[in-house]
Amino acid sequence: MRRLAFFVLFAMALAVAVAGYRTVAAQQQRVALADMAQDSGQWVMPSQNYSSLRHSELDEIKTSNVANLKVAWTMSTGATRGHEGQPLVIGDTLYYQSAWPNHVYAIDLNDYHIKWQYTPKQDSFAVSVACCDLVNRGVGYGDGKIIVDTLDDQVIALDTNTGKPVWTARNGDPAMGQTLTSAPLIVKEKNVIVGVSGGEFGVRGYLTAYDLKSGKRVWRAYSAGPDRDTLIGSGFSGPKNAGTATWNGEQWKVGGGTTWGWYSYDPKLNLIYYGTGNPGTWNPSQRPGDNKWSMTIFARDADTGMAKWGYQMTPHDAWDYDGVNEMILVDLKMNGQTIPSLVHFDRNGFAYELDRRDGKLLLAKKYDPSVNWATHIDMATGRPVVDSKYMTKAGTNVSGICPAAMGNKDQQPASYDEETGYFIVPTNHNCMDYKAFAVKYKSGFPFVGAIVKMYAGPGGYRGAVIAWDPIKGEIVWSDHERFPAWGGTLTTKGGVSFYGTMDGWFKAVDTKTGKELWKFHTPSGIIGNPISYTHNGKQYVAILSGVGGWAALGLAAGLTEPTAGLGAVNAAQDLSQYTQLGGDLVVFQL
Amino acid sequence: MLRRIAVAVALLLAATAATGARAAAQPLRVCADPDYMPFSNRARQGFENKLALVMGHAMGETVRFVWHSTRGPGGFDQFLHDTLNAGLCDVVMNVPFASDNVLATRPYYVSSYVFVYPKKGNYEITSMDSPALKQLRIGFEQDTPPENGLKLRALILHATPFDIGDTPGESPAEILTAVHTGKIGVAVTWQPSIGYFLRSFSGLAVVPVPNSRALGTVEQYVFPMAMAARKADTRTRDALDAAIAKSKPQLQSVLRSFGVLIYDGSGATGT
Repeated sequence: MRRLAFFVLFAMALAVAVAGYRTVAAQQQRVALADMAQDSGQWVMPSQNYSSLRHSELDEIKTSNVANLKVAWTMSTGATRGHEGQPLVIGDTLYYQSAWPNHVYAIDLNDYHIKWQYTPKQDSFAVSVACCDLVNRGVGYGDGKIIVDTLDDQVIALDTNTGKPVWTARNGDPAMGQTLTSAPLIVKEKNVIVGVSGGEFGVRGYLTAYDLKSGKRVWRAYSAGPDRDTLIGSGFSGPKNAGTATWNGEQWKVGGGTTWGWYSYDPKLNLIYYGTGNPGTWNPSQRPGDNKWSMTIFARDADTGMAKWGYQMTPHDAWDYDGVNEMILVDLKMNGQTIPSLVHFDRNGFAYELDRRDGKLLLAKKYDPSVNWATHIDMATGRPVVDSKYMTKAGTNVSGICPAAMGNKDQQPASYDEETGYFIVPTNHNCMDYKAFAVKYKSGFPFVGAIVKMYAGPGGYRGAVIAWDPIKGEIVWSDHERFPAWGGTLTTKGGVSFYGTMDGWFKAVDTKTGKELWKFHTPSGIIGNPISYTHNGKQYVAILSGVGGWAALGLAAGLTEPTAGLGAVNAAQDLSQYTQLGGDLVVFQL
Repeated sequence: MLRRIAVAVALLLAATAATGARAAAQPLRVCADPDYMPFSNRARQGFENKLALVMGHAMGETVRFVWHSTRGPGGFDQFLHDTLNAGLCDVVMNVPFASDNVLATRPYYVSSYVFVYPKKGNYEITSMDSPALKQLRIGFEQDTPPENGLKLRALILHATPFDIGDTPGESPAEILTAVHTGKIGVAVTWQPSIGYFLRSFSGLAVVPVPNSRALGTVEQYVFPMAMAARKADTRTRDALDAAIAKSKPQLQSVLRSFGVLIYDGSGATGT
C-alpha cells in the first residue's frame, strides 16, 4: 500500500540494533539522525523525521486504554507568550525552548531535574517588529549540539551536555524587520537549515544553510530576485529570472517570501522542501505580476541550495495566504503507481499533492468546503481559478472572503497515519472582510492602510481537526472546535491521534473515526505540537501548553479592539473566558 | 430598580434630544495622553491640551482631561476602544479626517509628512523620487506612509525604522537628534510631531513630501486632521463642528505656536 518513503530508504538502517541507539545517542556518538529518527522512543527532529510525518510507532497507549491516560509530570516554561513548538527527546534528556525570551531547557527524564538552562541575550527591538506574538517552534539537534533559533534572528549552537554556546550565527537584523520563530532542520549532520520571518516589513525572504560544525554560512537562497540570488540554475525546471521578471521595477528587493514554516528532506533525492510566504508589499495593486517566488513550494539541493523545482500556489497574492506550511513526504499509490509525493495543506485552503521528484501536480482539492477565493486549481497550469468577487483590490471593500488571512491552516503541522492512510489535519475555519485604504492613526502619525476583520466561517465554528484521504482528496471526518485548531497533531500506531485546543483541552481521538476517547484540561490553551517518547520502556505523550500566536494575539498582547492584530482579535475575543496565558510542559502516561 | 433606571435614562435621552444640544453644565471630557509631547501631557503643555481649552471656551463648557496612554499595547486603536468608545470621554482632539472607527469632525488643519536633513548637506530633495535619497541613510517612522513609499522604491534597504508612535516614553525629537548627530542622513516624519522641537535644532532643512502618483498608485503624505467623537454621538460631533467654525483662527494660532506646519490651500505655511 502506501509505503513511507523513509521506511523504504532506511530499511537497512533499521537492522542497526535498536538497543544500541539509546546508549549511543546518550553519549552523542555519530549515529545518523535519520537512523535515530527511526527509534520511536526518541524525538530527534522538530517534525519527528525528515519526512515530517509526526507519527509514533509506539502502541502502549491505544484506543482501548487511552481513557486511562493521566498526568505523569509537568513543568513551567518560565514564559507566558505563545508556545507553538514541541520538545525533543534524545536519550534520557528532554530539550525544549519556550516562547520569548526563548529559555532553553535540558531536563533529565530520570528525575526531572534541570540539567542546564540557557537564555540567549537578545535585541529587544525584535519584540516590536514580531508580527504575530512572540512565539517559537522549537530546537533542533545534531552532532552533540542543540540548535536554537532566537526571536532576534540569531542561530545558536549549544553543547548538549553543558548548554554552553559552541557557535552563534547572525541570520538577520531585527532593525530591518527580520526575526526568527521557526525551528531549524539539521540535514545529514552537516547543514543547519534556517528560515526567516518579517514579511510584514517587506523582508526579502531567504533560506540559509549553516555548517553544523562551525556555524559558517554554506548557502543562502532568496525567494525573489535574479537567479543568482534565488539559486536557480540549469537544473531548474521552471522559467528563468522569474524572480525579477514577475515584479514591477525593483520591487523584488522588498519581495517578501519569508520562510518561517517547516522544512522537510528526502535523503534519496537529497532535496529539501519548504514553502515561501506572501509578497512584500501588502497592497496587491501596488505590485502587479505573479511576484515569484513568493507563495511557492521549493525543492532545493541540500548541499548547494540550488533549486530543482518551484511551484507557486498563489500567484499575485491578495489575501496574505503565506505558503509556509509543512511539507509531508509520503509515497502515494495513485492510478496504479506508487509515487514519491509531497502533501501540503496550504493556508489558501487547498490541499496540494505533488510528485516530489519533479513538482508535477497530482491533486489539488479544497480541504474546507467554505473556500471561495478560488473555485478550483486548473490542473493543466497549476494556477488557481480566482473568483473576482473575492479579489482584494485598491479602493474596494470585499466581504466574506474564505478563508481569512490566517488561512484554513497556518503553521500548525498535520500528521500522517500509515495504517488508515489518513492525514490528521488541524484547521482554521474563519472568513474575513477586507476594507481597502482606510485612514488610520498610529499615535502621532496618520497613515492609510487596509483593515481586516476575521470571524467564524459558515456553521459558526472557528476550527476543526479533520482526517484527509489523500487518494480521494476528501475529508473523512471532521471534529469541530470552538477556536482555530492552532496546535499540531500526532498520530500513533495505537490508533489514537492527539491534539490540543486553544481553550486548553488536550484530546485523544480515534484516528479511524475522529471519535473523542479522552481529554484533559491543561493550564493554558494549546498551540503546540504533541510528541511521544519512551522512558524505561514506558510510553509518554508530551505537549506544550501556553496559548498565544496570531490566533490568540488579542489575549497574548492584551488587545481587545476587533481589527487589531492583523484582524485577528475579533475572531477570538471570547478566548479569555476559557483560558489565560502561561507556558507549561505537560506529559502524560497510562 | 432596573426598570426605573431605564425610564430615567429614557427621559434624559428624550430631554437632550428635544433641545438638540449637549446637556448644560456637563464638562467636555477629553481623552489625552499623559506623556506624549508635543501632543499632550499631564501638565497640559501639549497642543492637544491647548486646543481642548479653546474648544471648551467656544462651547461654554469646562474641560476635563481623562488621561490614558495612546501608546500602550494595541496602540491608538486600542486607546480609542478603551476610552472614547468605552464612554470614558467624549472627544479626542487629534485624528486623521475620515478615520473609520470614530465620528470625525470637519478637518481643522491640514499638514504633511516632511523630509528633514542638515541644511549644510545641500541635498536636492523634493519628493520620494529625488535621486539624492538613494545616497542617504533614511530614518522613518515604521507603519506610516513613508515606509510604504520607501518599500516601493526599495529605498528601505538603507533605511532605519523608528517606532516612536508605539513606544511610551520616546520623544518624536529622537529622529531629529538622529539627523543632527549624523546617525541618519535624512528623516521622513509627520511634521506636527516635530515642529515643536525644531526650534532646538538649528541648521535643519524641512521640506514637505508631496502626495504622489509617480508609481501609478496613490501615495498620500498630506493629511487633513480632525477631532473625534464616539461613532454614534452626532450631537457632540455637531457641537464640535460648530465650535471649530467659530474658533478656527484661535485653533490654528495654537498649532502655529507649536511650530505645526499648516497647509492653507495655496501651499504650506508655518515655521
